[in-house]
Amino acid sequence: MTNAHSRTGQRTTAPRMPLRTILGGATMLAVGLSVAITATPVAAQITTGSDPEHELIFSWDRWLDHDELNERMEIMADQWPEFLTLETIGQSYGGRDMKVMTINNPETGDELDKAAMFIEANVHGNEIQGGEVVIYTIWYLMENYDRIPEIRRLVDERVFYLIPSVNPDGRDWFMDETGSGARTGHVPVDSDGDGLFDEDGPNDLNGNGVIEQIRKYVPGAGDFVVDPDNPNSLRRVGPNERGDYILLGSEGLDDDGDGRVNEDPPGGYDPNRNYPSDWQPQYVQGGAMNYPFELPEPRAIEDFMVTKPNIAGSQSYHNTGGMILRGPGAAWYGDYPQSDVRVYNELGENGERMLPWYDYFVVWQGLYAVHGGQLDWANDGHGAVGFSNELWNGGQYYQSPLLREQQQDEDTPIGGGRSNYFFDDFLTFGRNYVEWAPFDHPQYGEVEMGGFRKLQGRVNPRFMSMELFHRNMAFTLYQADEMPLMSMGDAEVEQVSGNTFRVRVPIRNERLMPTILERARRYDVVEPDILTLEGADVLMAGWVDEHNFDGAVDRIDQAELDRILIRSGHPGRTTRYIEYLVQGSGNVTIEYSSQKGGTVSTTVGLN
Amino acid sequence: MGKTMKVVASLALVATTATSVEAQQTYRSYDQLTDAIQSLVGGSDAASVESIGQSRDGRDVWLVTLAGEGELPAQDRPGIMVVGTLEGDHLIGGEIAVEAARWLLDQDGSNDEVTTLLAENVVYIVPRLNPDGAEAYFGDPAWGRRGNAWQEDDDNDARMGEDGPNDLNGDGVVTVMRVPDRSGDLIPHPDDSRLMKEADPVEGESGTHTLYWEGTDDDGDGFIAEDGPGGVDLNRNFQHEYPYWEPDAGRHMVSEPESRAIMDFMVDNRNIAAILTFGHTDNLVEAPNGQGRLASPRTISLMDWAAMSNDGVTDVGVFGGQTNFGNLQQRGAQLGRDNPPEQGRRPVTTYNGQDRPYFVTVSDAYREITGIEQTGYHRAPEGAFFEFGYFQYGVPSFSTQGWAMPESDGESFDQRLLAAVDSAGSDAFMDWQAYTHPTLGEVEIGGFHPYMAVNPPPERIPELGASHGEFIARLGGMLPNVRFVEATAEAIGGGLWKVDATVENAGYFPTALAHGQTSRGVDPTLVQIQVDPDAVVSGDAKSARTSRIDGSGATASYSWIIEGSAGQTIEITSLAQKGGRDSITVTLR
Repeated sequence: MTNAHSRTGQRTTAPRMPLRTILGGATMLAVGLSVAITATPVAAQITTGSDPEHELIFSWDRWLDHDELNERMEIMADQWPEFLTLETIGQSYGGRDMKVMTINNPETGDELDKAAMFIEANVHGNEIQGGEVVIYTIWYLMENYDRIPEIRRLVDERVFYLIPSVNPDGRDWFMDETGSGARTGHVPVDSDGDGLFDEDGPNDLNGNGVIEQIRKYVPGAGDFVVDPDNPNSLRRVGPNERGDYILLGSEGLDDDGDGRVNEDPPGGYDPNRNYPSDWQPQYVQGGAMNYPFELPEPRAIEDFMVTKPNIAGSQSYHNTGGMILRGPGAAWYGDYPQSDVRVYNELGENGERMLPWYDYFVVWQGLYAVHGGQLDWANDGHGAVGFSNELWNGGQYYQSPLLREQQQDEDTPIGGGRSNYFFDDFLTFGRNYVEWAPFDHPQYGEVEMGGFRKLQGRVNPRFMSMELFHRNMAFTLYQADEMPLMSMGDAEVEQVSGNTFRVRVPIRNERLMPTILERARRYDVVEPDILTLEGADVLMAGWVDEHNFDGAVDRIDQAELDRILIRSGHPGRTTRYIEYLVQGSGNVTIEYSSQKGGTVSTTVGLN
Repeated sequence: MGKTMKVVASLALVATTATSVEAQQTYRSYDQLTDAIQSLVGGSDAASVESIGQSRDGRDVWLVTLAGEGELPAQDRPGIMVVGTLEGDHLIGGEIAVEAARWLLDQDGSNDEVTTLLAENVVYIVPRLNPDGAEAYFGDPAWGRRGNAWQEDDDNDARMGEDGPNDLNGDGVVTVMRVPDRSGDLIPHPDDSRLMKEADPVEGESGTHTLYWEGTDDDGDGFIAEDGPGGVDLNRNFQHEYPYWEPDAGRHMVSEPESRAIMDFMVDNRNIAAILTFGHTDNLVEAPNGQGRLASPRTISLMDWAAMSNDGVTDVGVFGGQTNFGNLQQRGAQLGRDNPPEQGRRPVTTYNGQDRPYFVTVSDAYREITGIEQTGYHRAPEGAFFEFGYFQYGVPSFSTQGWAMPESDGESFDQRLLAAVDSAGSDAFMDWQAYTHPTLGEVEIGGFHPYMAVNPPPERIPELGASHGEFIARLGGMLPNVRFVEATAEAIGGGLWKVDATVENAGYFPTALAHGQTSRGVDPTLVQIQVDPDAVVSGDAKSARTSRIDGSGATASYSWIIEGSAGQTIEITSLAQKGGRDSITVTLR
């Protein structure tokens, strides 16, 4: 690599900053091999340029196995121990360690006193790229803590909990095996009702690591013809035509000899339907299993999340489609209260401006009904503002309006269903496609097998990764930045008579999200905010309008005025004034304590 | 062991150390029940016991399996699951379950129905799903705890359990207080001043009293006993019509370890073909009606009104009046697309009309065997286990209180209950006693005994155990039972044979109820001809699936054309998820 700032094109051997380079050792076509990452200090690499090199150099055009995700987190935790803590929260069904990285600056306060952003990915095993987004996010925040003041502020003000894969078994099934049927987790399910579990999954008959499509040449008797311009592409014939090919499904055998092929693969459920909010049984919501948190992975995450009532925001990365989704998951669940919807709308609509191909909408309105999803539970069970991004939109292959038009035109090289083949040929150099080749199938006889590899389609092309990671991270950091942030101004004291004083304090929530969502308030899902006064006896307390400082207060009618419950929390971007009438002397301390907004206080002397 | 209680001796709540297998006449503590179960199981080859999990306080949830010698191993036999004491105050359910098990083991060999049951079926019994809740019965005071040991901040004031009920008058029981209150809604009942009634302004009545739980405002928030030891009412913790956000329903459905324990067992043992639970819910004495619904709840108003005194505790501290709930119709299609996609199916909430006749038959048998003709206290079944059993697990699933109070008249349920108490001469109603309350002035403490109103005197346990044992045996005889009746093979030349086989369901219930099919809770019956799939030339598939075979001898037939060789023996197998396994062989001649 030539450094752009190097005038002579020469490289010196003295690096300006200590650095570690992580070499990815996987070859392009490694299948089923686990590769150890080595951390090798490389002194003789780069840099004398003025643009600082990173402390940790990772490659961002690789897709990581679950071990590699954990390994990168361990490397980062070692590199930045003052901010990072890595802990194991449980095991997947297959025994893989699920690890959460906590980002917190202890010098700016206790972890549980700050609002936290919870970030997860990859609940569907084949929806991998969110995992890399999570790794990228940790790396970016740490690398830029000293370089970008806004990043420093974010890390100092907030807490982040990140877990790159919440379905490790599914992810490794996708990465290390053929990639077929990886959406599910691996708890055994008797999908065909024969009393056996997971006994008949797909089979890689020709051993090339890909579950391919099967076609058979049946001249004059088929539903498909080969595209004259592209021998790989099949097109379905019209109603009165006959073609030369039929499609026979995916590679597989009748492993259990019951006459059906691939009818009981590993797992066979949807882990993102196993959450308690609007959980529905299988006939209403396929793949939901028997009861919420039956699955070990969602249960491990829930056991972690209930210990973190400071979580005010949640993001769960999926693929695909280019969406910024919010709940509710089902129409019959109604919609969120207006005040909550306003918060979601501002975040989502700005998100669309950071993610050009992504649309913001409600799950049930624009996608399909989802019962028992993580998204609903993050909002309903944890009182957090939750989004779920579907990463990568197929429109991003041919992004310009002109090319999008050409895709609709049969006569162009990228029209007539040819655009994926064109893209693969010229931009990924044929890497993502297996050409049709003859095969002697034990059941179907002489056939041909071929098709796109698992990394094409739902997963973005490697060379477009960093932009995808960065833009999605940026949206999530923006959401984190708008979590509630309480502050308290100085108290004003006015003597009324003798040792009776009026004490007035401004209390502010600086950001968009309220400390308690209205929906969470309605269902008592989070603890109320608590406003306490210590050091004097409280005779009366009330909210005061800032325009009416000398008038009556909006009196608070609670039994304990030195410990006022505020169940509705503090709305976003709002300052409120509390006014107490107290009797006493010496110092009083007023403290506002909010599970998701932090704890702030002020002390003032009565005199 | 249980403590003595300051109540009349006929309640027989004193702990005994009897370990004989004579019928018990007390309600048993966890230790006593554990001993009783161990000795019952130890004395029989047809019984075994295991722990399916621990309660929150670490007590075992015991599961007894009754299965005698028979053709099939227990896990392949059609099974009945019996569950008791999901609500902590329903002690009678667990006692009936244990005594029914005892009766069944005693009758094995002499009673034909029972002998058949233990040979061909398996009975799983969980007497006490809520051991922590039930143990409160032996505590002091007795306060009618329904929930388990989960600690909940019921009034959501960031303090846990800081204001529970108190036994102010030292009678060992927590009842209710009636407090003179000019802004109250209640007046003493004109027909019986021991009861209360809501004042009706139309009739010129003006309220004079408010009811509270017996207690003091321990945390000074203006409410009494709004945040006690609490816990999750396990019979509101399950997945059908789960009561979201109710403080006694848990943080979410199946949140409790006790609930998970029974769910995991149900999932691992799908041979369970019928369910019987004991609790504060009923669909046995009164079967589902023509609209597929159960009878309305009948609850104790004196207790309901005391509970209502704490309504609004979580409304304190709401500022700003932001309670608009967005209505998407009003706002138009502002978000997303204009045409919302297909929303899919909705969950079924009424009993299927085709299934109802079976519930009626079982209800008739239950009333005939037990003599119970009237329901007592029962409440709405949202989140109850037996409803999960039918609406999601898809099998005949029943619930009963397990006993009936004497027949009595009365306009309201409270009146009927009081009349029954009076006619039985029991102490289930504690007469109002004057008391000077620290903050409320002169009040009266009294009302229905929290346990005696919903449990019979323990002397009735043996007889209830026997009748329910008989009912369980009758129910077992109704379970699906799928067996081959014949299989033939006919040579048709060219190395081909036509093989026919017929199975019959000799049970009463179909292999799947209509809702068992709708809910996909029940797998189709699988009949397989055990040859290579390639050897099946025509006819039914090698693995033939029949989604439902009616009971009472209905049959299903299968026919295959196979390649074979003379002299070959072919095995044909059947697997009915709720109706057992069978096989038959034919020889190709």
